[in-house]
Amino acid sequence: MDEAEKKKALKRLLILTGAEMILIAFFVWLMDPFYQYHAPFFGMDAVLNDRDNQMPGTIRNFAYDSVLAGSSLAENFDSAFLDGTYGCSTLKVVRASGSVADLLYYLEMAQEERELRNVFWCLDIASVCAPTEVTLYGEDIPRYLHTDTILDDLPYLYNKEVLMEKIPVMLASAHEGINTGGQAYNWARNKQFGAQWAMRAYDRGSVTLQEPPVQRAYDHEAWLIASNVALLKEEVTSHPRTRYRFLIPPLSLLWWDCAYVNGELEMRIYALDQAVSALLTCENAEVYYFQNEESIVCNLDYYMDMVHYSPDINQYMLERMAAGENRVDEENWGQAVAGLRELTAYISEEAVYGYYGGD
Amino acid sequence: MLFNSVIFITLFLPLGLMGWFLLQRLRNPFFAKLFVVGMSFWFYGYYNVYYLWILLASLAGNYLISLLLERRGSPWQRKAAAVCGILGNLGLLFYFKYFNFFLDNCNFFFHTDIRLEKIALPLGISFFTFQQLSFVAERYRGGAPHYSLIDYAFFVSFFPQLVAGPIVLHSELLPQLIGRENRRLSWENFYDGITLFILGLAKKVLLADSLAVLVNAEYGNIAALDTPTAWITIIWYMMELYFDFSGYCHMARGIARMFGFWLPENFDSPFRASSVREFWRRWHMTLSRFLSRYVYIPLGGNRKGKARQCLNLLAVFLVSGLWHGADWTFVLWGLMHGLAVVFETAFPKLRFPREWMNRLATAVFVTLSFSVFRSDSLETAGLLWNRLFTAGNRGMLLGVCNTLVFPENYAAIKFLSMRAPGLVNAFFLGCFLFLSAVGLGLICGQKAEDWIRRNGHTKAGAFCLATLFTWSFISLSQVSVFLYFNF
Repeated sequence: MDEAEKKKALKRLLILTGAEMILIAFFVWLMDPFYQYHAPFFGMDAVLNDRDNQMPGTIRNFAYDSVLAGSSLAENFDSAFLDGTYGCSTLKVVRASGSVADLLYYLEMAQEERELRNVFWCLDIASVCAPTEVTLYGEDIPRYLHTDTILDDLPYLYNKEVLMEKIPVMLASAHEGINTGGQAYNWARNKQFGAQWAMRAYDRGSVTLQEPPVQRAYDHEAWLIASNVALLKEEVTSHPRTRYRFLIPPLSLLWWDCAYVNGELEMRIYALDQAVSALLTCENAEVYYFQNEESIVCNLDYYMDMVHYSPDINQYMLERMAAGENRVDEENWGQAVAGLRELTAYISEEAVYGYYGGD
Repeated sequence: MLFNSVIFITLFLPLGLMGWFLLQRLRNPFFAKLFVVGMSFWFYGYYNVYYLWILLASLAGNYLISLLLERRGSPWQRKAAAVCGILGNLGLLFYFKYFNFFLDNCNFFFHTDIRLEKIALPLGISFFTFQQLSFVAERYRGGAPHYSLIDYAFFVSFFPQLVAGPIVLHSELLPQLIGRENRRLSWENFYDGITLFILGLAKKVLLADSLAVLVNAEYGNIAALDTPTAWITIIWYMMELYFDFSGYCHMARGIARMFGFWLPENFDSPFRASSVREFWRRWHMTLSRFLSRYVYIPLGGNRKGKARQCLNLLAVFLVSGLWHGADWTFVLWGLMHGLAVVFETAFPKLRFPREWMNRLATAVFVTLSFSVFRSDSLETAGLLWNRLFTAGNRGMLLGVCNTLVFPENYAAIKFLSMRAPGLVNAFFLGCFLFLSAVGLGLICGQKAEDWIRRNGHTKAGAFCLATLFTWSFISLSQVSVFLYFNF
């Protein structure tokens, strides 16, 4: 080939490469599995199954006026039930750890986009003790998720996993109706709930019981709790036109027994007490409390591990909240805390042996 | 920085090319050279600026030696300067590459317990040190002139060849730099370069990284392998290493060609070799050239009788083993190759009657020896060889094939898992056979440049190249480093 022929071949190669690159980018933009650019086109159902990658995009681009926030304990809620009951349009905003700081980061994003009517928040006790730094952006997390510019979107538009895994799974899930509508991020499919599964997550036989359990120095934890509670209260008070409904979910007897043998029981109860007491002082907040539901907490058939309960429990919580049941206020909260102390004592002294046998 | 990264392809390379050719419009080429040297330093220091200081120190030290050799001193002064240069380069290499190994062995053999902080190995130190060693030797022999600092810095740091070769001689690169031919953009060079780069990128990203999935999984699980899967693992590793390193070299040569430079070839269909000696004339050719020119010949080569020649060969391969890594596995690997070449030298007529038998025997030997090269330790290598010859067949092939999960076959696996679970294993086996066939076919097939020459200008060829590029580019979200960076 001479110079002229090579120039022609180069031109052809560059044109073909450019055309392929444009086609790929257009296809990813059109399908947009992380909803970075738009809500689904052509009336297709949104498939929400990849929370960390999809959350920023859905907050920016979806139509909603209410938010259902929480950890994995909130993912199996049917948000369509809330829409029907409260006449709203609810977007699930979840983070695996349920970290208060991370969820507030998402909520602030949502509040910047629109004024929220309702925030339904499934408040995990462990999240009140979590670090207060936002962990949603860092070296290992794609920058493009959290920026508005398209200049850093190359790793999204040209990504084999997006093109060959995320988009086909999205299309198949939309076709099968998996993780669509109110079942966004629902993980219960193909999971097994029951005492035998839950007990695998907690090997009580290997635990050396402390007599009495050692209560560790809690300075740092107490500071974390105070910081998280302050963040929560600031969020609620700074949006007086938004109605906040907090649900305190029922963690299993295994979780409470584990806290007991690790000497963390008092701190857990303290965390819960601090958070709920603070929230109850806010006019635009309601708290629905399910931790004292002994028939749920002490029945491991509802659980798949120490904390994750079946979708039946999620639905039960929503129905009770809608009926105004299980609500606590400043007057009856003290009683509820006393009830929790009794329940945890019963768990560690009696109920847990129903599953693990006596010492 | 990696050639197979989004930032290199979308920013660094276009910027480098534009700067180089725009600045060439100035009458004085100094600024264009300075620009590329600056870009090369950015390339090298991208992940760790600390490495850049080592490169700069090495470059400055060697330039100083060249300057001393330029001054008219007495013969012993010249010799002293050259010895200083050689010892300085070897000392740098010893400190960064072999000191940990030396200390570990001292502790082991002398039952001491000396503990010092582990020294990190700077990228490509073996490559740029050998390159400068050859320069110092040539300067002493009078085979190289004293170049300007900018030309010398360009020669050492030119980013396409900086971290993993090919090991370029001053006589290959610097006349091209000083000449005027590459000062204007040549579409011919640009086309040759870009096509070579695309083929190299595809070799690395699509083939080597896919083969690595199985190899890494099985090398981490050697004790569980049976004989067939152990053989599959080492054959796939051999293919992975070849595609990884030759892919890198294609990219390096392609990039250099875009800038208007010709770099020497490093591979010439090595698995067509019918002896180990021939294998080393086809595999990592620039390293073989270096070792031949600066170790084998100075030791006497074949001029002092057969016995001495055999000893020299053994020494060369031990140096080669140690150059590749500071571990006993590399020493053993070098020794194996040395003994094989010595055997071929001592008994040149002891050959199989047919050429294909010799090729096969060479390929089997090379594959077996490289299994030691890949092992973490001699114990691991021993265990692997035990699996290769005594583990029997426990029907583990399907289990090994099931590691082959890629974005390309993800949707098909998911679909089959739901709709036809009985076919999933057959599908994985098909993936394994397909990748094996592609790998072996390319190893035995025509060279990349021949393919480009014949097909690149056709519509189908251009479409293939464009598709290989886009496919590779969308695969860059999960990048892996090159195997030869640490040598």
